[in-house]
Amino acid sequence: MASEGAPAVGASVPTSGDAPAFDTSVAHVARVYNYWLGGKDNFAADRAAAEQAMAAYPDIALSARANRAFLRRVVTYLVSQAGIRQFLDIGTGIPSANNTHEVAQAIAPESRIVYVDNDPVVLAHARALLTSTPAGATDYIDADLRRTERILAGAAETLDFAQPVAIMLMAILQHLSDEDDPVGVVASLLAAVPAGSYLALSHPAKDIEAEKMKAMAERLNQMMAEKVTFRGQAEVAEFFTGLELVEPGMIRVQHWRPDTDEEANSPAALWGGVARKP
Amino acid sequence: MPSRLGEGLLGLPAMPRLFAAGGALAVFQPDRRELTGLAGRYGVLACHAGAEVSLVHQPADGVSTADMDPRALAPVESAGGPTVIRILLGSQLRRLREAAGITPDEAGYEIRASRSKISRVEHGRVSFKERDVADLLTLYGVTDEQQRRHMLSLAQQANSRGWWARYDDVMPDWFATYVGLEQATTLIRTYELQFVPGLFQTEDYARAVTVLGHRSAPADEIARRVLLRLKRQEILTVSDPPRVWAVIDESALRRPLGGNEVMRAQLRRLIELADLPHVTLQVMPFNRGGHSAAGGSFSILRFGEPDLPDIVYIEQLTGALYLDKADEVDNYREVMNRLSAEADTPVDSARELRKIIGAL
Repeated sequence: MASEGAPAVGASVPTSGDAPAFDTSVAHVARVYNYWLGGKDNFAADRAAAEQAMAAYPDIALSARANRAFLRRVVTYLVSQAGIRQFLDIGTGIPSANNTHEVAQAIAPESRIVYVDNDPVVLAHARALLTSTPAGATDYIDADLRRTERILAGAAETLDFAQPVAIMLMAILQHLSDEDDPVGVVASLLAAVPAGSYLALSHPAKDIEAEKMKAMAERLNQMMAEKVTFRGQAEVAEFFTGLELVEPGMIRVQHWRPDTDEEANSPAALWGGVARKP
Repeated sequence: MPSRLGEGLLGLPAMPRLFAAGGALAVFQPDRRELTGLAGRYGVLACHAGAEVSLVHQPADGVSTADMDPRALAPVESAGGPTVIRILLGSQLRRLREAAGITPDEAGYEIRASRSKISRVEHGRVSFKERDVADLLTLYGVTDEQQRRHMLSLAQQANSRGWWARYDDVMPDWFATYVGLEQATTLIRTYELQFVPGLFQTEDYARAVTVLGHRSAPADEIARRVLLRLKRQEILTVSDPPRVWAVIDESALRRPLGGNEVMRAQLRRLIELADLPHVTLQVMPFNRGGHSAAGGSFSILRFGEPDLPDIVYIEQLTGALYLDKADEVDNYREVMNRLSAEADTPVDSARELRKIIGAL
């Protein structure tokens, strides 16, 4: 479809057998994150988990904001300096300010973005609100990150995999345990895109503010459906194996090409980087 | 002499903060590093950190730039029109009362009022006498002069009248509250089963709906009701409009109120509105079975103030329900999310609207 230049917009209706279950009685990452960002699209269980995490690591709200700012700078870089026009953004979250397609299409209106998440609340918002410019396209896929084949097949309806694609994994890989083989998941996504494509990711760190982050992870794992595994610098660096890291390399997200001193000085315990597939 | 808003002076708060000066209210947006005032009776004020304070729009009752001397700025908790300020002040009074361990009965006794009056005040349903607020603050042990001044200034703001007050002859109190809230929103989500949502109605369609509800009303009253509805729609065209996200049942779009010609024009208006970046319109088709709003039409209003909860509005024949308790709002938000997930996407909805026009 992408090759026909059809403005594929919106998202397919979930089929009945595969309809996402609305269960707001258990905390979900997208809604917890929404609470940290000061949003109001969260439910009692999400607020409780978010508050628990904040008690362990009070800077988590600023950290979440710093991660959003990182996303904005990364997309700006990829569109304006790396010439990227296609994005596969996995772990969309509830739409907030500066969503990927808004940042990309503000610079290059023809940009095509496929969003992926597995939360029905995200689905309700994304398919209604993440709408494209007429020149470009957006689509939304309801899928789990572990199901890379399904994600890639769905994304192929909107993205042209013969052209470079930026794969975005912002603060999402911590929801894969080591048994889920997150390095393998990232590698299988990268295998589907051509040379000149990019991988951009951020990952909560276990080796920054280590004690607080450990306490936060324990609390989140008690209260959330998706468990978290925070990782250290060397483990996160593994995701970039075989790729060419863009300056300044893999680094704390607030130090990745900050626009202002305020951004650079924000507390944030996440590793992040952008790398090109050679 | 214009004043300067320095970063040092404001201390660049991390969250949007509200300031009051000379009876005007302004909000400081840290991400945009600017201070913007409220539209409304005080006019629009705008100034930037480090820049000269400027008055963009001269208000009718004349707030001058001198009133915006930043040294006179005192942080307040909210802005957004008298209705919202009333609700916010009410919730602050409740917090203070509970913190002081004082029962509603005791508080009522202090201001020569009943327990239920205290409840109405704390829910922002009635306006405040400044003297009552002062007495309550004393009872709650609030002695800090600055905090008292700030609360009393809020009480003053809450007692001002919005533009809609001039329509009170055709508008019951319960609806005036809705209009006051609607004017202060950042997001309106609405589910409509019967009619095209009021904010989207053409004049002819609005007249047809109004006549349905007030068959025996004289022509000038009908005209005023229609005028009020059109006036409300101005929030769609202001410079920083709220997002309006509507799910409209197909039956509301098939029922040709005012006749086929009026309905065709109404549907064309919907297509135009849906093109606005801040309007999202989703059609719930007949064939999408068993959708989630077991009840009926309702709206969820959201405000920019971090402290203010979403409010659910459910209109009934002779009154309305306003729900703001977290668990109730959570329920309605969940239903609204289901409806949005089940309804057609905005792109498919526009196609559907064209089909319905063609079939009329």
